[in-house]
Amino acid sequence: MNYRILTKRLLFLVMVIWAASTITFFIPRLSPRNPVRERFAELARTGGFSPEDLEAIVADYSTRFGLDKPLLQQYGDYMWSIARFDLGVSLNKFPKTVMELIAESLPWTIGLILITTILSFILGNWLGALAAWPKSPDWLKNIATSFVLFQGVPPVLLGILLIFFVGFRLKLLPLGGAYSIGTVPNLSFEFFIDVLRHQLLPGIALVLGSVGGWVISMRGMGVTIQGEDYVTFAEHKGLGPKTIFRDYYLRNAMLPQITGLALALGNVVTSAIVVEGIFALPGLGTILFSAIRSNDFSVIYGIVLFITIAIATLMVVVEFLYPLLDPRIKPQ
Amino acid sequence: MSSATLSNTAIKQPNKLVLWFRYLRRNPSLTFGLLILLFLVIFTVYGLLTIDPKDAYPLAVRSKQPPSLEYPLGTDFFGRDLYAAMVVGMWQTAVIGIVAGALGTIIGTILGFISAYFGGFIDTAVTSICQILIPIPAFLIQVVIAGSIDKRSVTIFTMAFVVLLLAWMGPTLVIRAQVLSMKERQFVSVAKLSGMTSLGIIFKEILPNLLPFIAAAFIAQVFQAVFASFYLAIVGLGPVREPLLGNTIWAAQTQGAFFNGWWWWPIGPAVAMILILGSLALINMGMDELANPRIRKSE
Amino acid sequence: MIRKFKTISALIVLLSFLSLTVLSTSAAQDIPDVPREETLVLGWSLANAVVDSTNPWSLPGYTHQQGNAFMWEPLYYYGIFNSEEIPWLADSMEYTSDDFTSLEIKLNPLAKWSDGEAVNAEDVVFTFEGQMNNTTLPYHAAFNQFVESVEAVDDLTVNVTFKIPAPRFKFEVLTLKFDTGIPIVPAHVLGEVENVNEFLGGLDIPHSGPYTPIVWDLTQKIYDLREDWWAVEAGRAEVPEVKRIVMSNIEGQQMDNIAQRIVNNEMDAALDMRSSVIKSIVEQNPSVTTHSGDQPPYGYLDWWPNALWMNTQLEPYTDPNVRRAMSLAINRELLDDIIYENAGITTIYPFPLYPALQEFADSPAVKALEEELQPGLYDPEQSAALMEAAGFTMNRDDLWEKDGETVSATIQAFEQIHSDIVPFLVEMLRNAGFDSDVNFGADAYQNMADGVTGLYMFGHGASLIDPYAALELYHSRYSAQIGSSAGNNRFSRYSNPEYDAILDEMAPLGADDPRFQELAAEALGMYWTEQIDVPIIQWLHRIPYNQTYWTNWPTAENPGLGVNGAFWAHTGMLVVTNLESAQP
Repeated sequence: MNYRILTKRLLFLVMVIWAASTITFFIPRLSPRNPVRERFAELARTGGFSPEDLEAIVADYSTRFGLDKPLLQQYGDYMWSIARFDLGVSLNKFPKTVMELIAESLPWTIGLILITTILSFILGNWLGALAAWPKSPDWLKNIATSFVLFQGVPPVLLGILLIFFVGFRLKLLPLGGAYSIGTVPNLSFEFFIDVLRHQLLPGIALVLGSVGGWVISMRGMGVTIQGEDYVTFAEHKGLGPKTIFRDYYLRNAMLPQITGLALALGNVVTSAIVVEGIFALPGLGTILFSAIRSNDFSVIYGIVLFITIAIATLMVVVEFLYPLLDPRIKPQ
Repeated sequence: MSSATLSNTAIKQPNKLVLWFRYLRRNPSLTFGLLILLFLVIFTVYGLLTIDPKDAYPLAVRSKQPPSLEYPLGTDFFGRDLYAAMVVGMWQTAVIGIVAGALGTIIGTILGFISAYFGGFIDTAVTSICQILIPIPAFLIQVVIAGSIDKRSVTIFTMAFVVLLLAWMGPTLVIRAQVLSMKERQFVSVAKLSGMTSLGIIFKEILPNLLPFIAAAFIAQVFQAVFASFYLAIVGLGPVREPLLGNTIWAAQTQGAFFNGWWWWPIGPAVAMILILGSLALINMGMDELANPRIRKSE
Repeated sequence: MIRKFKTISALIVLLSFLSLTVLSTSAAQDIPDVPREETLVLGWSLANAVVDSTNPWSLPGYTHQQGNAFMWEPLYYYGIFNSEEIPWLADSMEYTSDDFTSLEIKLNPLAKWSDGEAVNAEDVVFTFEGQMNNTTLPYHAAFNQFVESVEAVDDLTVNVTFKIPAPRFKFEVLTLKFDTGIPIVPAHVLGEVENVNEFLGGLDIPHSGPYTPIVWDLTQKIYDLREDWWAVEAGRAEVPEVKRIVMSNIEGQQMDNIAQRIVNNEMDAALDMRSSVIKSIVEQNPSVTTHSGDQPPYGYLDWWPNALWMNTQLEPYTDPNVRRAMSLAINRELLDDIIYENAGITTIYPFPLYPALQEFADSPAVKALEEELQPGLYDPEQSAALMEAAGFTMNRDDLWEKDGETVSATIQAFEQIHSDIVPFLVEMLRNAGFDSDVNFGADAYQNMADGVTGLYMFGHGASLIDPYAALELYHSRYSAQIGSSAGNNRFSRYSNPEYDAILDEMAPLGADDPRFQELAAEALGMYWTEQIDVPIIQWLHRIPYNQTYWTNWPTAENPGLGVNGAFWAHTGMLVVTNLESAQP
């Protein structure tokens, strides 16, 4: 284990986290909106809640959350609390803490993303590799190309169409939500199946849209490798095409793909978040959008930070996986 | 004995245009992509010349009309002529895409150049910044920005700007990588030996070879910009009154278009979006081939 | 190698499934099974409320709208469509003096909390004194203004003495209807708590209403019926057939998704819909009905008629001619035609046209004023003339300009309820030269309260039976300066001593007094002349009632107790407890 490289990578991770948290800290605060005030105002509007001195109450809560301190001081406090893994309290849904909100919604997002990424990764890579392999039949190459066109179909649109036609008109799959209305999460097999049924449509919407990307890059890679010497050499050795494809071609084409996997995760996250809205899945995306709508700083930072950390960590981890797959590559 | 004039027996090279066409024939994805794009451009230009832009805004015409001769794409709940809305929307989407794409590519190219050519501290700084910013999910930041700014100041150009902010890192790294590899290769050293100035090297040797990559980066940037602006508009964070394609779909969704039987309302922009993004993706794939001489099929 | 990769990916997939199940079931609970035929499924947004906040005095997360109305009951309810009082915890509430300065409340002897304790005078006194002493409570201001003292004469009788004549106090404050009024809270519970504002309440707080919360998370709330509800024994109600209420969170969801669920019989009722959507619902599923059956306007009149408010202390809205010019730019007939299928929704009044108020609007005095002042007129030319007289000129973009500034007509509004009408208003104002746009952001309400430049699409949640409350919205005592927030949704900041004088004279009079009617007409006339705000539409609640599982919803044909069908209002409890099962 090369410690110098490890340290460099960890430093990189820290820098990414710092950059992300700083950006997400300053942006919402640049607007003059006060989320605490908006929260009370919303309650006032809908519930006949109209205390004599709204301002005093708002001021009280603002102090409690430290919103009345100078900006730089708030920044300092914020950085310090991040270091202690304390993401604070949601301004809009208090007393719920940000960690609680994330913990409750994360499983749904993870489930959706992981499944769709893995599926499209596998599907895309096979198709892409096949598309670049000169010996594969034409119809296969055309399928691969059509998936590329699908890339242009944002999962959002697909989701809308799927809900309307499959869910509403055909009544084949649920109209959204994570589980059926009125059921409470429990450990039964029925609940598990219920959840699965609810994940299908969003999953399809996401997979169809992202396979295309994998196809392109895989094909691109495959295309470069074809010219490489060792494939030609393998051919000369007399190895059958299938073996060459599997053991030489695919494996080598796979390498940069793995970094791409981590980056693609970022893309899939954003698609998933928007799709979650359409399908009313109680994942990170729904919470995030709700927070953005009400300008709930803490939740916004918390979630963006969380996602960034996840992606960056994954990238670093993946870089260390390289040697496992190809001993020629030394970590730079 | 007279020397045989070669002119009679010279092999005639077909002119450049014909070569291009032959190439296109061999590269179907690039061809298709370009064709679709061409169609869209013609549609938009023709549309802009023939419609009254006011029709793309509410209360212009009778509302909720299905497609007919008078309104080829129908009208929406608010009384927009959807054909006019499509044309104006396409134009605005193109503006966002090209502005953000061009700026992003220019910034990326310049930064990439500077970084690779001069190396040293500048290089480390630029590369580190890029690498640090890339894992940050750009869309989320864009959503946060768009959600925080005063709704009145959201215009097409602010959207382009928001999209641009986190898009320039990719081209920077790509161009930098290419310039680096060229630096190593023979012809730069040869040019240096022959006494060309730095500037001359940049413009006469490096730039022409970079053009395919810059072009590819541009396409990719436009794609990203269009995609991002579409997504922002579709969640309602765009300039709501403008007939941006994403906005039209958002409006259709919030008014329950499918449910109420106004299927023609979101279909137009949806198809348009698919065509735009699809064509860009195809072109991207085609450029891939173009840029990698090894896989170019031979005639 | 490929095998290795496959195994790894398979493992990851498996892992993700496992984690999904494990993490989600960490919140696993077991609740008794209740069949669908005995369950009422409602769609409502659960945003903003703090989970487990069942204490009506908890701050700031309490709202009655998300099912808490099924838990807490008042002295009286009101059936708006029958114009009838509905005695509840109290058997009677009468003013005992001619000048409305004292009130006697007699409680029902059988009223009980869910823990068995009786609801008695002690609770009433505690509730009232709490409002009087605790400045953070919603009705503190009203109690402070009117109430001198509260006294328990015996276990079941309470006497209230007022500082000044308070003819409307009994109705406005002590009766629960729509979203106003106060419930009675348990003295023996809240009296024991150290800080009543911080005490959330939890799921098992003793309450007098028929339903008890058993589940409350971010996706839904579930209430189960308790069989020992006092009202059955007291003869006020039959045993409710709805054994369980599930309130599913629709926060952030699209309207048509909710509509789809109604059509698919997954939900029995949901929040009110826009005109075109409800029409489609009714057409697609014949079991779904509305307050007006399957006919326009597909709903009932709500108490919240919307107008374009503006801050009359801010230039250029200080000039009544500018305000009038804006009103002249709105083509109300066109709005009725396009959006509401000619259901006559647009309005010129700042109050809803409930029976008593309709009478007032039809009175000769008011009709004469209408003839004279033409409040609903659409006349772009006159609008232009007024603007020019006020010193504005048309600039190159066809917008009115004075001293280099255009007239901002950015409309602050709420996307979920205004997305159909506001874009039209924006366009109409633009066509008339006002720099108009829309802001659907979450800061819209804050902007209204702060009195920023522009217009505010908001309702008049005031009058129900007489015009006083609505007209009082413009009394100068509420007109805070720019920079502070307008309390209680009184955004106009209108300040006119003449107007105040009229209202002050009205205040101590009962609505039947002819002098009251005279003054009310005068005040309304002034509202029109001054164009304090621009009234646009009556507000309709187009609530879909799915009759597949439940019937006997309150409709025009079947008014029942005369309450409105909004299950989220205070009177929602009466709606739910009167539903009958449609399944055999």
